[in-house]
Amino acid sequence: MSALPIEARGLRKAYRSSWGGKAVLALDGLDLDVRPGELFGLLGPNGAGKTTTVKILLGLTRPTSGEARIFGIPAADPKSRRRVGYLPEGHRFPGYLTARETLAIFGRMSGVDSATLRRRTGPLLERVGLAAWRDVRVKKFSKGMTQRLGLAAALIHEPEVLMLDEPTDGVDPVGRREIRDLLRQEAGRGRAILVNSHLLSEIEQTCDRVAVLRSGRVAAQGTVAELTAQASRYRMAVSPLDDALVAVLRETGASVTRVNGHLELSARDLSQLNAVVDRVRAAGSLLSELSPLRASLEDVFVDLVRPADAPVPPAPKDDA
Amino acid sequence: MRALAASVEEVFREAAARWTLIAYFALSTLFILLFATAVNLDIVNGALAGAKLFGQTVEIGSRTVDIDRLVLGFESGFSGVLFFLATFLALFATAHLVPRLQEKGTIDLYLSRPVGRVPLLLSRYVAGLILAAANLLYLIGSLWLIIVWKTHVAHPRFFLAGLSILFTIATLLAFAFLVGVVTSSTGVSLMATYAIFFLSAILAAHEKIAAAMSKEWAAKLVDGLYWVFPKTSQLLRATVAHVSGGQTFRGMENVNLLAVYGSTALFGIATLALASWLFSRKDF
Repeated sequence: MSALPIEARGLRKAYRSSWGGKAVLALDGLDLDVRPGELFGLLGPNGAGKTTTVKILLGLTRPTSGEARIFGIPAADPKSRRRVGYLPEGHRFPGYLTARETLAIFGRMSGVDSATLRRRTGPLLERVGLAAWRDVRVKKFSKGMTQRLGLAAALIHEPEVLMLDEPTDGVDPVGRREIRDLLRQEAGRGRAILVNSHLLSEIEQTCDRVAVLRSGRVAAQGTVAELTAQASRYRMAVSPLDDALVAVLRETGASVTRVNGHLELSARDLSQLNAVVDRVRAAGSLLSELSPLRASLEDVFVDLVRPADAPVPPAPKDDA
Repeated sequence: MRALAASVEEVFREAAARWTLIAYFALSTLFILLFATAVNLDIVNGALAGAKLFGQTVEIGSRTVDIDRLVLGFESGFSGVLFFLATFLALFATAHLVPRLQEKGTIDLYLSRPVGRVPLLLSRYVAGLILAAANLLYLIGSLWLIIVWKTHVAHPRFFLAGLSILFTIATLLAFAFLVGVVTSSTGVSLMATYAIFFLSAILAAHEKIAAAMSKEWAAKLVDGLYWVFPKTSQLLRATVAHVSGGQTFRGMENVNLLAVYGSTALFGIATLALASWLFSRKDF
């Protein structure tokens, strides 16, 4: 079986204070897998361990315990980065270099020969929308342009793994869509892409799978649909609707709430949902709408990362 | 190798794009021009008939001054001046190499490439030394050409000063790299390295200083520091002596040159190795 593009097992990282103060636990046994062709989103509040995870995967930081591997090679080994492209957050390319020179320097640092670089640079700058700026010094670039250049520098050696820290930071809405499309294309070519972002909408629109980090651990992991479905509910429109019907429906064990002339219900599974529908029909009411109500990723995120000492989010309650 | 060459090239590009390199070579050029215009020699039949220094006539009297010997004296004297000038300029122009590399937003770009940390650090060290060597060659080569042009006397020994000065720069730059890795501050790197330079010069008189100490441990500490630190004072004298061909070894009679160069080299190697080890273990 071939090794996974990104693999982390039991990652733990404690940052010690310089003066022997209390250690801060940034990661506490994190497990993570990213498969080829997958766009994987890493979410979490500030201090959840997202950046530490990426830094360990890139060998920028050493874990206190646990292991991180890129295609089976330990992340601390520089060889593992031959197949990795990275776009750091708040990166600072040398302002005295032009876009073309930047790609030449960083491409060569990734082991690409000059002839290949000459062949790749033009089309790549075209792809990220910087073709007209190829010979302009980076210090003249806007933040969005610098971000596009960073993306080009991450792709110049055609890596099989991409790690992107806030890739759309400072990019206008059109540019964001272009970057999302580009990432989709790269994933379509089989590249494994790890996106670290606090922009939930970006992750929701871009990623195949998501991991939500909380206090250095994976609090939840799955596709966006799976994560939001955990809190799935249904909207049901029936007529006539009265309190008696609501009481009958609750006998199925489903949680039923009357909201603005329709019903919102949480069913344990499909059989319970169908039992509710059967009761509606048996009561002589007509069903005009039954649609799933999904929580937004933001709802799921907020619920997941709520501090441990905060009140547990209440389950949907009846108001009838 | 390609990656390391790119790292070295990036240092050169940075140096070319920033005012430090321009200032580095501009100051060197100023010194060369000053020398070219200040010294005017009148040579007749291989002997000095008259001389002007900064426009002032130098009294020679009825003595016959051997021009060959005079040029050697000139060159050895200037090698001493160059020792200070070139060392200070080189440190000033290269001390930022590590602190700037370690800046947030920059270090990630370099370390996320398939380059080992130690080779990355050493590539910048080598780039710094190449810059210093280029400036030394420019300084010494230009002065040598001016001397040949004005006196028709060519002493290749003058270039030995370059090797000795480059050795001193290599040692001090290693220390500047160590401080840079630990503090990430160009200012602190420069101050600490200049402090070592002067402290080492003072420690040349370690025997007298130790004798004046009231406590035995303090005397031992002074002696110990002398042997640990680079021997900048003796290196200066040795540089002058190398150029003069041993004629101006005054004050160096009891100095073991091998011990001076050896212990200084050990200091440089140890500090560079420590800088590399710390850099390879650092969390960014």
